[in-house]
Amino acid sequence: MKRISTNLPNDNMSYHLRMREWQMNEAQNKMAAQTRIKDPRNDPLATGHSVRFQSREARLERYLQNITRARGELGLAEGRLQSGLDVMQRVRDLAVQGANGIYTREQLAYMGDEINALLGEMLNVANSIDGQGNYVFSGHRARTQPFRMHTGRVEGSQGTEVITGVEYVGDIGRNAAEIDELAVSEYTLPGNQVFWAERQQIFATQDATAYRVQANSTIRIDGVQIDLKEGDNVFAVIERINSSQAPVRARLDPVQNSLALEGTFPHQIWAQDAGQGTVLQDLGILSRGNGSPPLNSADSASVYGGSVFDMLMHLRDSLYRGDQEAVGGSGLRGIDDSVETLTAHLSQIGARDTRLDVAEKRLAWEKPEYTKLDSQERDLDLSQAITELKMLEYTHQATLSTTARILRPTLLDFLR
Amino acid sequence: MPSTFHGIEVGKRSLIGHTLGLNTIGHNLSNASTEGYSRQRVEMKAFEPIYMPQLNREERPGQLGQGMDVTRIERVRDMLLEGRIVAEASGEGFWSARDRYILLLEQVHNEPTELSVRTLLDRFWSAWQELSVNPTEVGARQAVLERGKALIDGLHGRFHRLKETRDMLEQDVRGVVAQVNELSREIAGLSEQIVKSKALGDNPNDLLDRRDLLVGKMSSMLDITTGYQDPDEFVVYTGGRHLVQGRHWEPLAAVPDAGNESYSRVMWENTPDEVAPRSGKLAALLGLRDGDAREEIQKLDLLTVNFIDLVNEIHRRGFGLNGRTGQDFFKEQPFLNNLAGNYDRNGDGAYDSSYLFRLSGSNPLEAREQVGLRGALTLSAGPAFGGRVLVEYFPTDTVEDVVRRINTSGAEVAARLTQSGQLTLTGVPSESPDEPDFVLRHVEDSGQLLVGYAGLLNASGPAGALDWGGADAVLTLSPQAAFAVAPQAHPSAWIEVNPALARDPLSVAASLTGSGEALGDGSGALAIAQLRTRPVMLGATGSFDEFFAAAATEIGLRGETAELALQTQSQVMKDLKDMRESLSGVNMDEELANMIKYQHGYAAAARFVTESDRMIDTIINRMGV
Repeated sequence: MKRISTNLPNDNMSYHLRMREWQMNEAQNKMAAQTRIKDPRNDPLATGHSVRFQSREARLERYLQNITRARGELGLAEGRLQSGLDVMQRVRDLAVQGANGIYTREQLAYMGDEINALLGEMLNVANSIDGQGNYVFSGHRARTQPFRMHTGRVEGSQGTEVITGVEYVGDIGRNAAEIDELAVSEYTLPGNQVFWAERQQIFATQDATAYRVQANSTIRIDGVQIDLKEGDNVFAVIERINSSQAPVRARLDPVQNSLALEGTFPHQIWAQDAGQGTVLQDLGILSRGNGSPPLNSADSASVYGGSVFDMLMHLRDSLYRGDQEAVGGSGLRGIDDSVETLTAHLSQIGARDTRLDVAEKRLAWEKPEYTKLDSQERDLDLSQAITELKMLEYTHQATLSTTARILRPTLLDFLR
Repeated sequence: MPSTFHGIEVGKRSLIGHTLGLNTIGHNLSNASTEGYSRQRVEMKAFEPIYMPQLNREERPGQLGQGMDVTRIERVRDMLLEGRIVAEASGEGFWSARDRYILLLEQVHNEPTELSVRTLLDRFWSAWQELSVNPTEVGARQAVLERGKALIDGLHGRFHRLKETRDMLEQDVRGVVAQVNELSREIAGLSEQIVKSKALGDNPNDLLDRRDLLVGKMSSMLDITTGYQDPDEFVVYTGGRHLVQGRHWEPLAAVPDAGNESYSRVMWENTPDEVAPRSGKLAALLGLRDGDAREEIQKLDLLTVNFIDLVNEIHRRGFGLNGRTGQDFFKEQPFLNNLAGNYDRNGDGAYDSSYLFRLSGSNPLEAREQVGLRGALTLSAGPAFGGRVLVEYFPTDTVEDVVRRINTSGAEVAARLTQSGQLTLTGVPSESPDEPDFVLRHVEDSGQLLVGYAGLLNASGPAGALDWGGADAVLTLSPQAAFAVAPQAHPSAWIEVNPALARDPLSVAASLTGSGEALGDGSGALAIAQLRTRPVMLGATGSFDEFFAAAATEIGLRGETAELALQTQSQVMKDLKDMRESLSGVNMDEELANMIKYQHGYAAAARFVTESDRMIDTIINRMGV
């Protein structure tokens, strides 16, 4: 292009000035907002990454909060169990004393009174409430007191009303908190596992050798669903129960050829027929009418295995009766079993707490990592931005001064 | 012998010619800053000398010159360069409009800041988490409701901004159509005047300049080509048809289209054909309105519909603090009140289509179970697939495999298994603006998968297929299958929290356990909170979080493309325009130098006339007196 019209330098100057001003505006905006990405178009891929990182950070924050809550609840449960354990230690001392000493009937009765008081204290521990007003050991029935007591008179109580029965009216639900992507941690304990001393056994008395399942049905044991197919005999039913995740072991009782269920660790077995099925009712485990556990075992079935409270009541009654043999024998064994259960659950809580602690530390480490990654994608390198802005300003000045020089003289200035 | 007054004639011609030259220079200087002006030049030629070889020539030495004459005043303009500029200008118009509007769409996303809909959704999920670990709290329920409302406000806001953008585009389309018509009219008028002027032998330079300017303006709006072959008829073509032909011009019209939410189609006014510009501002606006902006709204609607569907499905099964169950969390608004989804689409008084949104089979399936059946599903798809897509299934496929295959097949049907294992098919936004969004258009099974296995349809084959083209399509479904009528258009505009829950926060369900006392069960709230990570978006391969990231990246890439393309095209146009300016622009120094030349010429001619006059004076007044 050899010929330059008069307008051409003008137009070029405007074009370049406009470009430069736009670049300077962009740079200033980004510096003011402290971000490299003002609109997604500035760096589309980094925008996508940044969005993901921010989402992850928000989720980590939430998981940390969930862990704090879970650990709080576990800590509370631990404290209560610890005080329960202290109570049981005192009971054990009394039991040992009562079994081995030379005491009169009256003195044994006084020991019985103390056991009764400690039983009341244990009941308080089991019925404890957390900061929000929920019962700690109640499973999902958080606003219902888990253990209900009945009072009455027993032989040797000398007319005072003592606790004659404790039943569990909570449920077996466990609440879980999400502590990482689709990873949950349970943080509640149902009372009928924590405060159970012996493995429960349910023996039906009905002959089950000729039994066949009539139609496809489902049974639920301790919350685990077990499907039974039409035509299964009692051995198939036993096999299915044993291979499921339910914490019970089924077998055929050789004496009566009937079904027997035994818990694999001390807890109260909850069994139920789901939907329209009647399998457990037909086998004589549950009573007719499909009531809800735990009060639905058949009248003809024998249920063995009691709670911590049952052990305490048995010990107290033995002391009231003056039966020192029973005190030292079954009574003491019951107390030992109770202590074992409580200790086992304490260590389980400890293990869960450790897991949550580890998860918390990991998340707490991960969170600033994601903040760092997000910052790398999004944040402005201030020194670089300032340098660029300075360069733009400098070239802007140079352009303006150069243009001014070109624009000045025309032939008009030199003609007469 | 030349005539007595030969000298004066020669001088006179020179004076007139030089005056014309000076006037033309004056005209150039005056118009140095006029837009679209090309400099004009006088072409001078020596006048016809005497004598031509003819019988009555004088026997004198010849030929004797007779001075100068101005043959033409012509403008300096390269028509080939003009043609190139017209061709490139549509590209600049296209990208300029696209760049501007995509920036608006990008800003709606508000990413990657903390003020976006994504953040509101995060906080909504967080509120459900809080409820899951505090299921007996009323406060946690109120937090869920409040955050739900905030999220809904965010969704509404985003929808309205997108709709406004679409409305703005519509206004612009109409405006451009009016402008194009106006330009066509003016160009036709100018052509008429130019033809008349040329017929008389003149060069109507200023009219030509003006016409070229108007053609330049029009070229940035539409992709046009110009034809100069016939000097009597100036033609402007677009899309293979005449827009302007001589003094006749074809108007365009913006006709509202009921199928596209009353947005207009650009048609030729006098024939029922549609104008489909491939470049230029109009093409960009139409593409943005019916392509990018519509897709953004569809994505938002799909997010909302999935969201409502999934949350409601779990919430309905949950129990509140007051024991109530079966409540939806978000209010669902069906498109029609008709329970079977029958609709009269063409307005002739008879039901002719069925608008069904969701079908659920009655049989619970296991995700990892092998189907053991063979066949092929025929599902509705977009125009890219010709309307139908075939999805085959084999006996060795698991249920999961079949679901994934449906979702990645390109069919406009989304499949998933509900929490209780039922196969659910849902409609998704349709690619073509003529088909409604969120309607299942065609579901057919040649085997037994949907019929006996999943419990959806009554029979296999085309006879048992669900097709929206007739009323009562629900009769082809199995009696135990569940179905839902299509939602009202644009769920993101009408989504709201169920007012029954807003009035009574205790009804917000956190528990999945049926007994009235199980208040401490937060598993329902946990299941809802875990929806966040379930792959339900992006053809059922990505979760909600991934959807937001993908959407922001995609619009960012489009914006980046538009920006770069605009810069490139601007540079190209600038270079072409600089070339034109270099050729046709007025250079003051050149004009002034020419002016000096003509001034001297004029002065010399005047002097010559004076001398001739003196010579004639000698003859007349001094000879033989």
